[in-house]
Amino acid sequence: MILAAADLPFPTGWIPPYNTLVVAAGVASVGFAAGVVGCFAVLRRRALAGDAAAHATLLGVGLAFLLGGGRRDLPLLLGGALSTAIAALAGLVLIGRWTRTREDAATAIVLGVSFGAGITLLSGISARGIPGSAGLEQFLLGHTAGLTAADAMILGALSLLAVALVTLFLKESTLVAFDPLFAAASGWPVTLIDYALVVLVAVMVVVGLPAAGAVLVTALVVIPPVTARQWTDRVGVMLPLAGLFGLVAALSGVAVSSAVPRMPTGPLVVIAASLLLAISLLLAPRRGGLARWLRSRRTVAAWAEGRLLEVALRLEGEGPFTREQLLAKAPGVAAERAFKRLARTAAIEPVVTRAGTHAWRLAVWGRELAAERSRRLAAWTEVLEAAREDARGHLTIDVPSPEAILGAARMKAIRESAAAARSASGPVSGGMS
Amino acid sequence: MIEIDTTHVWMHFWAIATAATVSAACALVGSFLVVRRLSLLGDAISHAVLPGIVLAVLAGGRPGGAGVFLGAVVAALVTVWLTNLLGTHAGLAEDAGAGVAFTTLFAIGVVLVSALASQVDIDPGCVLYGILELVPFDTVPIFGLEVPRALLAAATVLAVLVVAAALCWKELVFTAFDPAAARAAGLPVGIVSAGLLVATSLATVASFEAVGAILVVAMLAVPAAAAELLVRRFHLMLVVAVALGIAGSIVGYLAAWHFNTNAAGMIAVVLGIEYLLAALLAPGDGVVARVVSRESLRWRVACEDRLASLWRAEEGDAAALAPRTLLDRLAQARLVFGGRIVPGRAGGLTDIGREEARVIVRSHRLWEAWLGRHVALPLDHLHPPAEWIEHHLGAEVRGRIAADLEGDEGDPHGRDIPPEEFPRRAADEPTR
Repeated sequence: MILAAADLPFPTGWIPPYNTLVVAAGVASVGFAAGVVGCFAVLRRRALAGDAAAHATLLGVGLAFLLGGGRRDLPLLLGGALSTAIAALAGLVLIGRWTRTREDAATAIVLGVSFGAGITLLSGISARGIPGSAGLEQFLLGHTAGLTAADAMILGALSLLAVALVTLFLKESTLVAFDPLFAAASGWPVTLIDYALVVLVAVMVVVGLPAAGAVLVTALVVIPPVTARQWTDRVGVMLPLAGLFGLVAALSGVAVSSAVPRMPTGPLVVIAASLLLAISLLLAPRRGGLARWLRSRRTVAAWAEGRLLEVALRLEGEGPFTREQLLAKAPGVAAERAFKRLARTAAIEPVVTRAGTHAWRLAVWGRELAAERSRRLAAWTEVLEAAREDARGHLTIDVPSPEAILGAARMKAIRESAAAARSASGPVSGGMS
Repeated sequence: MIEIDTTHVWMHFWAIATAATVSAACALVGSFLVVRRLSLLGDAISHAVLPGIVLAVLAGGRPGGAGVFLGAVVAALVTVWLTNLLGTHAGLAEDAGAGVAFTTLFAIGVVLVSALASQVDIDPGCVLYGILELVPFDTVPIFGLEVPRALLAAATVLAVLVVAAALCWKELVFTAFDPAAARAAGLPVGIVSAGLLVATSLATVASFEAVGAILVVAMLAVPAAAAELLVRRFHLMLVVAVALGIAGSIVGYLAAWHFNTNAAGMIAVVLGIEYLLAALLAPGDGVVARVVSRESLRWRVACEDRLASLWRAEEGDAAALAPRTLLDRLAQARLVFGGRIVPGRAGGLTDIGREEARVIVRSHRLWEAWLGRHVALPLDHLHPPAEWIEHHLGAEVRGRIAADLEGDEGDPHGRDIPPEEFPRRAADEPTR
C-alpha cells in the first residue's frame, strides 16, 4: 500500500475520473456557447422570449419520453425539448400577429401555460410510475451528476456548432442587432436573420437544460453577456468575454453542486454568474461602480482645487491669507481636502507675516495654475458671450430667478441699496430723464 | 366507508375553493398588470419572492403567516429595486435587468431550500408547481369548521385586494391607462404603482403554496389577457377575468383529478385553452371573426367582379366572360343560385343582376372619371384603384362624385357611366 502510493506522482484524489472530466468539458463548452449566443439575445432584447422557450422545454421532454417508449435517451429528450421551445416561440409570434394581446402578456401566457402543460405531463408520467421517469425532474432545476460522457460530448458538439454559426454570421447578426432598419434598407433578410437568432437562442436554451434546468437556463443566456457588456463596448470583444464568463459560471456551478449532496446545479450556476456580474458592476473599467466613483471624486477634487486657487489669487491682492480666510470663501469638505493637496504639491506655500503669524501665499507654480484657470474661464465667458443671441436666450431659460435663491426680502434690500447707490452717484442720468 | 367518502368530497371542495380564491385574487391583480404592460413584473415577482419566503420561514414565520407575507413583499421590492438599479447604473434594458434580478433571487431561494431542507419545511418541487392536493390536510378551525390554512390566507388576501381596488378604483384606472396624465393631475402615481407591486406580491404569496411560483404567472396573466380580448370596458374586463380564473381552477382541478396529475399545472393548461378560445372567438377581432370578415369581403368582391364583368360583356367586351379561378366559379354558382345570372353556358345577367352590376360599374367608372379629372394619373393607372374602390362606394359618395363631374357622361376611357336609376322614358319624366 505504502509503496503503491509512493509510486504515484500525486495523490489519487487529485485526478478526477474520466467521466467527470468529460462532463466538465461539455458543461464548459455549453456555458461558453450560451454566453456567446446570449449576446445577441440581450442586444436584440429577446431575453424573455428565451425564457418562455426555456419553460416550454419541459413539455417537450415529457412528450419525447412518452414517444420514445420510456427510454431516457438524452438526444431524444433534447430533440423534444427543442421542438416545443420552437413551438413556444412560434406561439409568441402568432399571438403578436393575430390578437390584441401585447408582447409582455404574450410572453407571460406562453411561459406560464407551456410550463403548466409540462408539469402536468411530467406529474402524470411519474404518477403512473412509468419506469425510468424518476430522472425527468432533473430537467427542472438542472443536475449534471447524471450526465454520461457521451451525453456531454453531444452537448459540447452542439455548443461548438452554435458558436461556429454565430462566428460565421457575425456580420449579419451584428448588423441586425444594432441597426435593423438600416439592415432592411440594405436588402438583408432581417426577419429571417432575426428568426434564425431566436431559434439559435432556443437551441442554446435546450443545450443548457441539463446544466441549468428549464426554470433558470435563461440566466445562463442573459447574465454572462450582461457581464461582458460592462467591460467593453465592442461586439468583437463582448462575444468571447461573455463566453468566458459563461464558461467560468457553468464550471463553478457544476463543481460546487458535485461537492454538495442533493444540490441542483442550475441555481449554483446562476449564482456563480451573478457573482461575476456583481464583481463586474463594481470593478469594470469606465462603467464599473468603483470607476464611476473615482471619476466623480476626481471631478469634484479638480473643481475644488480650481475654486481655491481662484479665491487665493483674489485674496493675495491684500497679502498672505490664512487657511480660514481661504476656506471661508470656498466652504466644503472637498475644499478642505483640496487645500491639503495644494499645500502638499507646493502650489501654495507657508509664510510668516510681519505680525509674526502663520499664513499662506501662492507659490510660482500655484500662481501659474490659477492664471491658467482664470484664462480658461475668461475664454469660456468669451465663448458664451459670443454665442448667437437666440442661443443665449436658451441659456438664460434655465437660470433660476434670483428671488428664488436669495429670497424676496434680501432681493428687495439689494435693489434698494443699488437704487440708493445710483441716485447718489448719478445726478447726470437723473437729470437726463 | 361513508365517512371516508365524505372526507373525500370535502377534500376536493376545499382544494377547489382554494384554487378558485387564489385564481380570483391573481386575475384581479393581473388585469391591472396586463393593462399597464407589466405582466412580466408578475413573472419576476413570482420567482423572486422565494428567498423572502424561505428566510421568513427560517426566522420562525409559519407558512401562510404574516411574517412570510412580509418577507415576500420585501423580496419583491428588492427585485424591482435591483431591476431599476441595473437599468440606471448598468444601462441594462428592462427585460435583461429583470431577467438578471429574478433568476438570481430565485436561484438563491432554491439553494437555500436545498441547503436548509432539514430546517425549512419547503419542498423544491412544491416551490415550482405547488401541491394543491395537499392543501386540505393543513387546516385551522373556524367556527367549528376545519378550513384549510391556505384557503384562509388566500381569502384574506382576496378580501384585502377587493377592498383596496374598490377604494382606489379611480386612481388605479387613471394611472393604468394614462400614467403621465395622472401624474399631471396630481395623483401620487409612484404610490399607486408601489401599491400594485405590493398587491402583486400578496397575490403571489397567497398562491405560492397552492400553485407554486411559476404557475402564478399563468394565473396572473392568462385570464386577464383573455378577458381583454373579450370585452372593451375595464370594469367588465375585471369581472370576466375573475370569472375565467375561477372557471379555469374548477375545470383544471377536476381534469387533474380525472387524469391523475398535477392540479396546478392542469389549471394553467385550462387557462391556456380559455385564452386560445378567447383569441379565436372574440367578437369583432377574434381570429375567427377576422377570417370570416376577410373571407366574406373576398367573396363579395368576387361576386361583384363577376357581375361587373358580365355587364362589360353585355357592352361587348367579350374577354371578360369566362370565370377562371375556383373562387370565380363558386361566385358564378352563387349568383346563378341567387337569380342574378341566367343559368346555362351563355349565362347573361338577369334583371336583378343587371341592377346590381350597374351600380358596381357605375362606381368604377365614376371613380376613374373623378381620378382622371382631379389627379394627373396616366390612363392605364386609373383602373387598379377603381377596381378596388368600386366595392366600397356608397350611394351618397356616388352622388357627390356625379355632382362634381357635372353631368359628364363618360369615363376617361370613353365608355358611358351607367346611370344611378334605370333610365326612364322621356314620357315618364315630370315636366317642369
